[in-house]
Amino acid sequence: MAASLVRLVRGGVCRSLNLHRTAALAPARLEATTAETRPTVRPKDAVAHQQLSAFGEYVAEILPKYVQQVQVTCYNELEVMIHPEGIVPVLTFLRDHTNAQFRNMIDLTAVDIPSRQNRFEIVYNLLSLRFNSRIRVKTYTDELTPVDSSVSVHHAANWYEREVWDMYGVFFANHPDLRRILTDYGFEGHPFRKDFPLSGYVEVRYDDELKRVVAEPVELTQEFRKYDLNSPWESFPAHRESKDAPKLEAGDKPPVTK
Amino acid sequence: MRRTGSVAKMAGVIKKTTGLVGLAVSPNPHERLRILYSKILASLQTMPQDAAYRKYTEQIISGRYSLLKAEPDVEKLEKKINCGQIEEVIAQAETELSLSRKMSEWKPWEPLIDEPPPNQWKWPI
Repeated sequence: MAASLVRLVRGGVCRSLNLHRTAALAPARLEATTAETRPTVRPKDAVAHQQLSAFGEYVAEILPKYVQQVQVTCYNELEVMIHPEGIVPVLTFLRDHTNAQFRNMIDLTAVDIPSRQNRFEIVYNLLSLRFNSRIRVKTYTDELTPVDSSVSVHHAANWYEREVWDMYGVFFANHPDLRRILTDYGFEGHPFRKDFPLSGYVEVRYDDELKRVVAEPVELTQEFRKYDLNSPWESFPAHRESKDAPKLEAGDKPPVTK
Repeated sequence: MRRTGSVAKMAGVIKKTTGLVGLAVSPNPHERLRILYSKILASLQTMPQDAAYRKYTEQIISGRYSLLKAEPDVEKLEKKINCGQIEEVIAQAETELSLSRKMSEWKPWEPLIDEPPPNQWKWPI
């Protein structure tokens, strides 16, 4: 909730800055700027929020063995955090219970947060057509612990779990056909992991002498390494420019950049 | 769906279709529901008295069961239950029955298996 408040406040500040800029650029259209004084805030749907939190409590009360935490986000999305052993029971309960009927699996994916003890979060998004509502179930695992496959509950999970296996390397126990789905034949590694370099490990090219496509280890020329590394997918922190980089003295020429 | 229902009622026959793929018209919904509900209630009897699943499911099922006993007309019963056509209600009862049998195996009313590791659900980190 605190995060949402911060986001709202920031949105308000940006908006007022924009207003000033438009006022400075086009003073003729003052009437448009004077009308709005308060920041636009996303309207709160208290009824939906109430219903979702009540249903979250209902699920938590029925399944205390598996549910660790229930929360409703600021965008009115119900999230149920469960212990990894409870995936099949919780999903089956949500599918079969008369008051839930979440029959459709909309999405299954993973999130990689390397600083955590269990670095992977597995996220299940479900839809109930009967009650026109959605729910998100989250659980966690690490690189080695297998997670129970949910194919026995939702057939739609089959390819999603293969995708998660391919991209993150999370192993799903009892999956009927767990193999690579998106990457190329003979690919090694799991490309959506945060520690997988952006450039990959091998590159392929057509070799005219051998008359076939060959795979070779990536060789980046030194120029390519000099890009801005202030991105969340930082791949070569060792090459990062240090904080106390030598400043240019007055009169020095800046280095030629391409 | 509604229209076929009313036409069928005028003609005095059961409706021809539910309008939903793979869901056939039930010839004797009352009988079917009665059997299913009594099976569900029997399966709930095996759970501990204070299990929340038992409490809430008994509430739902016995509420529907009493409506079922009180109302012989299928269309009025559908309106009273207010959860779709009677065939859908039957499908819900079937899933609930299989769920209740699995539940007595899983015993989800027991205390939490394991606390999450610290900061597992903390976001942003």
